[in-house]
Amino acid sequence: MAQVGRSLTSDLDGESMSAQTAGPETLGHLSDEPPQQQPQDNKKAKAITGKSPMRIAMGRLARDKIAMVCAAVVVLFVLIAVFAGAICSFFNVSTDTVLPSQYLDTLGGGLPLPEYGPPNGGFTIDHPFGIAPQSATDNLAFWVYGARTSLEISFTATLFASFFGILMGLIAGFVGGVVDKSISFLIDLFLTIPFLLAGLVIAPIINQNFNASDNYPRIQFWALIVVLAGFGWMGVARLIRGEVLSLREREFVQAARVIGMPTRRILVKELLPNLAAPIVVSISLMLPTFVAAEAGFAYLGIGVTSGISWGQTINKATPFFESYPLYLWEPVIGIVALVLALNLLGDAIRDALDPKTRR
Amino acid sequence: MKEKGWTMRRTKPLAVVAGAALFALAACGGSGSDSANPESNRTYTGAAEVGKDPERQAPAADVEGATAGGTITVYLPGDPGPDSMDPTDGWSVTGNSIQQALTSRSLTQYAKDPKTGEMVLVPDLATDLGSHNDDFTEWTFTIRDDAKWEDGSPVTADEIAWGIQRSMDSDTFPAGPGTEYSQTYFSGAGEYKGPYTDKGKKWDGVSVDGQDVTIKMAKPFPDMDYWGAFMAMGPAPLGKASTPPDYGKHIMSNGPYKVESFRPQEELVLVKNDQWDPNSDPGRHQYADKFIFKFNQDQAKVDQIMLSDNTESQTALSNALGSNNYDRANTELGDRLIQQSAQCTSFLAPDYTKITDINVRKAIAYAYPYQDMWLATGEVPGVTRVPANSIMPPGMAGKHDYFVDGEQFTYNPEKSKELLKDAGYEPGEFKITMIYYEPDPLAVAGQKVLVKGMEEAGFTVKGIPVQDSPYNIWLNPDDKLNKTLNLRGVNWCSDWPSGLTMLPPLVRTGAAYNTAQFSEKSIDDKMAEIPTMPLDEQADAWGAVDEEIGTKYFPIIPTAFRNDLYVFGSKIGNPTGDGQIGAPDYKDLYVMQ
Repeated sequence: MAQVGRSLTSDLDGESMSAQTAGPETLGHLSDEPPQQQPQDNKKAKAITGKSPMRIAMGRLARDKIAMVCAAVVVLFVLIAVFAGAICSFFNVSTDTVLPSQYLDTLGGGLPLPEYGPPNGGFTIDHPFGIAPQSATDNLAFWVYGARTSLEISFTATLFASFFGILMGLIAGFVGGVVDKSISFLIDLFLTIPFLLAGLVIAPIINQNFNASDNYPRIQFWALIVVLAGFGWMGVARLIRGEVLSLREREFVQAARVIGMPTRRILVKELLPNLAAPIVVSISLMLPTFVAAEAGFAYLGIGVTSGISWGQTINKATPFFESYPLYLWEPVIGIVALVLALNLLGDAIRDALDPKTRR
Repeated sequence: MKEKGWTMRRTKPLAVVAGAALFALAACGGSGSDSANPESNRTYTGAAEVGKDPERQAPAADVEGATAGGTITVYLPGDPGPDSMDPTDGWSVTGNSIQQALTSRSLTQYAKDPKTGEMVLVPDLATDLGSHNDDFTEWTFTIRDDAKWEDGSPVTADEIAWGIQRSMDSDTFPAGPGTEYSQTYFSGAGEYKGPYTDKGKKWDGVSVDGQDVTIKMAKPFPDMDYWGAFMAMGPAPLGKASTPPDYGKHIMSNGPYKVESFRPQEELVLVKNDQWDPNSDPGRHQYADKFIFKFNQDQAKVDQIMLSDNTESQTALSNALGSNNYDRANTELGDRLIQQSAQCTSFLAPDYTKITDINVRKAIAYAYPYQDMWLATGEVPGVTRVPANSIMPPGMAGKHDYFVDGEQFTYNPEKSKELLKDAGYEPGEFKITMIYYEPDPLAVAGQKVLVKGMEEAGFTVKGIPVQDSPYNIWLNPDDKLNKTLNLRGVNWCSDWPSGLTMLPPLVRTGAAYNTAQFSEKSIDDKMAEIPTMPLDEQADAWGAVDEEIGTKYFPIIPTAFRNDLYVFGSKIGNPTGDGQIGAPDYKDLYVMQ
């Protein structure tokens, strides 16, 4: 349920933001700040006149230390995910299944024998993160590939959700009338179905139809993306619709209409650039939601059950929290670090784009 | 009997080829004292073979040092418990072990022998273990006249006859044990459908004469005295008072405890039944004031409670222990950690119609990574799972200690490849198709290990993940997926210590749990003949058939004999297991004051 709550809050954030900010005027007037806010920076303020609003925002973001640290963490995770194979072969570890009895203490709770690393022995170079109890697979390889699964799913789902959300929002807001009513109804309808529930319902259906297929893990992967994206686009759509409603009565849109621009062109060339800020913000907040949701699904035994996922490792590790805490901490730290970094980065981006919330 | 935990929750371990005993038949066998158990420093509790004591008199001998009072809390991790408490419906280890010990009496029962500490078959509501005619086609039990219901009215022979008649109704009680025994052996089996389905129809299977209840059989049934220890062979209030399914929610107790509250899958609270008289019962005690059974508990949580030894856990017990805590429990708890033979065997069942070459079946037996599978699925190798050699579990009368291939099967990829070569298959050529239970991460991990092990041994394995209980697929002959499989599994527990409850249900042509689809007429005939043989030859005959099946056909591959671990709080007196049913011995527990 946490994911749903999160998406609702980000939704609300968006609404409130659209009330305060938005619009080209606001962004355009960034440089004309009230002098009492930065009286000592008059020179600087002068220097940045003439930059585009986006560049001003980026510059502000670059000066935000927390944002930069978070960006570095996110980039690091992205690199880990992209080069998962190389990292594993560098450390000479793999996600292959092994026959566990030779590595584990059979009567000692299925924990690794001391020579294979923690908790009973020291760290070894063969398995830098140790090996898993019960199955004796390598923790580092599972962690690295878990990061890949997590990012792959959250990035793809975000891409689809934001694309669809933006499209629906633009159409609803601009066309209005019956189209707006029906899209708004669709949004409300989808908002009533929590995606946790959708995931629980779809998992057995996918299983029933495709379990004999060789591509089953891949099908499961895409099904999860469809669930996440299919039940995550509504927030963006609402936000964009609200923005468009306020923008479409502006002079420049009216002018474009008068000179006979086709609707598609008005949407893409006139409206979309002015929506950059809310879109960037909502995407940056959608990512961590999906990372957490993917792990949550895997923990519940739905989602990516045939692949590798942090959530699954957490599920297997919870009984060992006392005897082998490291096994649980590894994926937990991965998720916490990634979600926290993405969230803080998202907040920083919003702050940077929105002059009124500047600290 | 259904093994406990047959509908395990998503996160609970399910062992074997995808599935711990989801649906195995229960334990009523003598527990093993033999040590097929080399790695464990624990020993089985209980006797080698079950004894009978028809002379046992009420009241039951006092447990030494036992004191009255207190509340005993029983945690059942991952075990949903019975849905209905109707005695006729009871065919699960969990439900029967609780009810037969505490609330629902029957013709006979098991009780501790005060001298040896082993479970023996003794009379319960009957005054002896029954008398039979020469060919076991008519059994007569004389009912004692001093037993009472919880409302004070006497338990009559008519009520017992009514209970027995109810057990004929397979349609009303499809999961009851009567479907297997009453409907096979009692007169009118297959024709009379029971008092609720065949309303008003007369049944001559059971007759009452004074205090005597006589049961007529359709075919010789020498094990009626054991079958009498099932609560389904006990009384039910006459008429509407016992109409299912309502009766299952509000049963009338006639044992030392009565139901205070029952919330299926959550909690059962039993309190003292003041109408129960110790002088009417040769097997039960009434020490504790109250029993609280908590179903569907979280294993990790229960382990923490039991290991903490705080005031709450001192008077509690748990019927399972997580394998990750075995080491700690073993060193910290000592005698309070009980390892109990569950009288169960786990099998791999290669499809007899598809894998026709015995060498391939033997190759599978060498290709199965036993120890690795147990570890990966959350078992404790050598403790909760020990290597198995025969269909009958250890301690069952007549069990032969034979080895199909001259030695105990262990994981041996080389040997497996050799056998495959003899059968004409190159490594990787023979394809195994099987299913595994996807919602359980331990089952998924086990499947990965199985694939790894078997592929190293020369097989190709296609594992198909399913979200339904594997038994629902294995037992459904019309299931499309089931038809594509050539390797299944099955877990089975004995209902009483006789090969009769182990072999025919697994290897008789057309038997429901014959997931290997084994069919040999000579074996069918032999198994049908054994119940007609002289009583003292039957046990050995079952053992001989077991060995013949194994060595000559090897249709099902025994992978493990199963044991349970019970954890008792430090103030629970007499912490022991009941080897007959594979559960804690609730009858003799007390709270130390």
